[in-house]
Amino acid sequence: MRASKRLLGAAACAALTLTAAGCGGAAEPGGTDGGKVTLTLWHNTADPAPLVEMYKRFERESGHTIELVPIPSDGFEDSTQTKWATGERPDILEYHATVSNLLALNPSENLRDLSGEAYVARSGDLYSSAGATGGKVYAAITGFPQVFGLYYNKKVLADAGVKPPGTFDELSAACRALSAKGVTPVFESGGSIWPVQILPLLYVSASNEANAYGKAIAGHTASLADPGSPFVAGLSSYRKLQDDGCFNKDITTATFENSMKALVTGKAAMVAQHSDMLPAMLAAAGGDQRKVDDTVGFTGLSSTKAVVTYAPGPIGTFYLPKTGDAGREQAALDFVRFMTGPAYADYVKSAKTFPVLQGVDGPQDVSPVLQDVKKAYDNGAVIAFNSDIPGMAGLAPLMSELIAGQKDPQKAATQLQGQVEQAAKAAGLPGW
Amino acid sequence: MVTSLPPRERPPGTETAPHAPHPADGGGGETGDPGRRGWLPWALPAVLLVALFFALPFALNARFAFSAWTGFRSEITWNGLDNFRMLVEQDLLTNAVTVTVLYAILCMAIQNTVSLSLALALQRTDRVNTVFRSVFFLPTLVSPLAAGYIWRGILDPAGPVNSFLGIDWAWLGEPATALLTVAFVDAWKWSGLITLVYIAGLNSVPRELIESATVDGAGPWTRFARVRFPLLAPAITFNVAVTLVGALSAYDVIAATTGGGPGDHTRALNIVMRQQWGQGFFGSASALSLTVTLLVIATAVPLVWWLRRREVTG
Repeated sequence: MRASKRLLGAAACAALTLTAAGCGGAAEPGGTDGGKVTLTLWHNTADPAPLVEMYKRFERESGHTIELVPIPSDGFEDSTQTKWATGERPDILEYHATVSNLLALNPSENLRDLSGEAYVARSGDLYSSAGATGGKVYAAITGFPQVFGLYYNKKVLADAGVKPPGTFDELSAACRALSAKGVTPVFESGGSIWPVQILPLLYVSASNEANAYGKAIAGHTASLADPGSPFVAGLSSYRKLQDDGCFNKDITTATFENSMKALVTGKAAMVAQHSDMLPAMLAAAGGDQRKVDDTVGFTGLSSTKAVVTYAPGPIGTFYLPKTGDAGREQAALDFVRFMTGPAYADYVKSAKTFPVLQGVDGPQDVSPVLQDVKKAYDNGAVIAFNSDIPGMAGLAPLMSELIAGQKDPQKAATQLQGQVEQAAKAAGLPGW
Repeated sequence: MVTSLPPRERPPGTETAPHAPHPADGGGGETGDPGRRGWLPWALPAVLLVALFFALPFALNARFAFSAWTGFRSEITWNGLDNFRMLVEQDLLTNAVTVTVLYAILCMAIQNTVSLSLALALQRTDRVNTVFRSVFFLPTLVSPLAAGYIWRGILDPAGPVNSFLGIDWAWLGEPATALLTVAFVDAWKWSGLITLVYIAGLNSVPRELIESATVDGAGPWTRFARVRFPLLAPAITFNVAVTLVGALSAYDVIAATTGGGPGDHTRALNIVMRQQWGQGFFGSASALSLTVTLLVIATAVPLVWWLRRREVTG
């Protein structure tokens, strides 16, 4: 099979040389110029400007060149996997820090072990649940985790005499009160597909203290499809909310941009989303930060308590694939040390993000909504239960079927468990 | 949209109907043995292209459909029909094949009906018709993804179509209309091209035959049904094959309009393939790809054979 892959590559290359400059060789990045090298960096197009500025600053300070290869944030995982599967490797890979996504890169074979780097010791217990597997740290996480919860329109809730809900029972009660006022209680974005999995994930968080439920699923000591399992209960609660008319009528076509606009304009009362959505919310408010601050609040939500859920995100999470080129590998390591070293404080300041490395001061002038997010996170956040489980990417399409009434919660859970089993076996996880 | 044709396919409009020799072919008709001599040099470039870009990759890739190939490990091992079994167990394969075939039939039917009607209306070459032909051809030049995103906006429940009709309906979000609507968008995108082929076909019908039929008292409908339509057979072969086969390998328009939803109502094979690939399940993605290829071959070969046979006997 490997031989045939090489043959296919050679054939494709031979064909392409008919029209293009050629494969490998001249086009290959990483040529050295007096010890200075060109590094390829596959990066998410959603990288904020301050992060891109850090790439440029590294170039200025190191003399190396970074060739940015943009991976569209829409379909980010698919596109990265597609390039990765061809055997192509960047010198630096920006990608998800969740273990489920890390496993799909086959890290022990393809990624360099960064366990001994100084930033790991300065990151608290971050790498106990992210960017590491098999006792080795592969990621360099510089971005604050995505914090998931419920954004709400303060005025709309106040007008309906409703307090921000912290549990699903409270959410149901709020739904009834808001519906009576003619407001869409919760705006869901089935047109963007992925956002509709957030509410079930939030539901499960009350059962996932210290990632207990996630570990049980990943370790195969529990099944998603166990009758009455937190996951099945989460899907059932979601379905009940839908049946009660809590969601927008255009749930199957609405996008997350629509949801942000509906929230800011008060057409909808609540939206389940994560903290990295704040720029989209600002855009929906026409760039008026004051309007966002005055209008929007944030609260934790789960089945039984107001806890927020977090998941390490892809923005600012870097991996170093093995390339076999000593010069470029050293330069790539220098990049990680630069990003996690003295320059990190400047990044935190300019990006107005919260630091994940100890000994670095938080940013000034943070918006009140983001302060709400941070406060909720500091009060005890729970990692999203799917973070360590491979094969969970199938949840979003299944939610689409659940919403369309094609699958009931139990059947959806059974099917997802099948996908988890497929991935866990492929990943060689213990217990499968 | 696949626009390539089997190498033996001749451009429509240059086809010669057996029972109606085209004036331009010198009356050679089907007896033209000299035309068949020395065909190899002409066919060679096409044969080479098909061999290099279709047959070789197909032969090399087909085996991955029967392999345990994932992003989770480096080894690629033979696993027989496991990928197909897994796809069936997860309710993915059967639905995807059904959706794909249904979508292809809808696309083929809509495009050919619309295009033939347009071709009849725009057949005569004059200034006004030339403008309209260009207008109807313009969508062909638009990127399918862009076309999808544009129509997604137009068909939004709060979009201009519903505003005009005064209704509230999620065309792309309701199971009853989603697949049909996406097929319509695909038809909008490609009908201009198919129309041009039909116009070429209609213009290749000898004028004297039409005139004879008219003199014999045939009305417009009879002239169309008994004279022009049978002589359109080569153009129909081309258009039916291209629209059907192209829609079997659909991805872009569906991805941009519904992403496969609502539920799995528009989840065609290539949409599921992309989802499997994105999860690192490359073996099962390859199995879906192979299914698309086999579906195309199983449809195109008998279809083109039957339609060509119909050209001869029709």
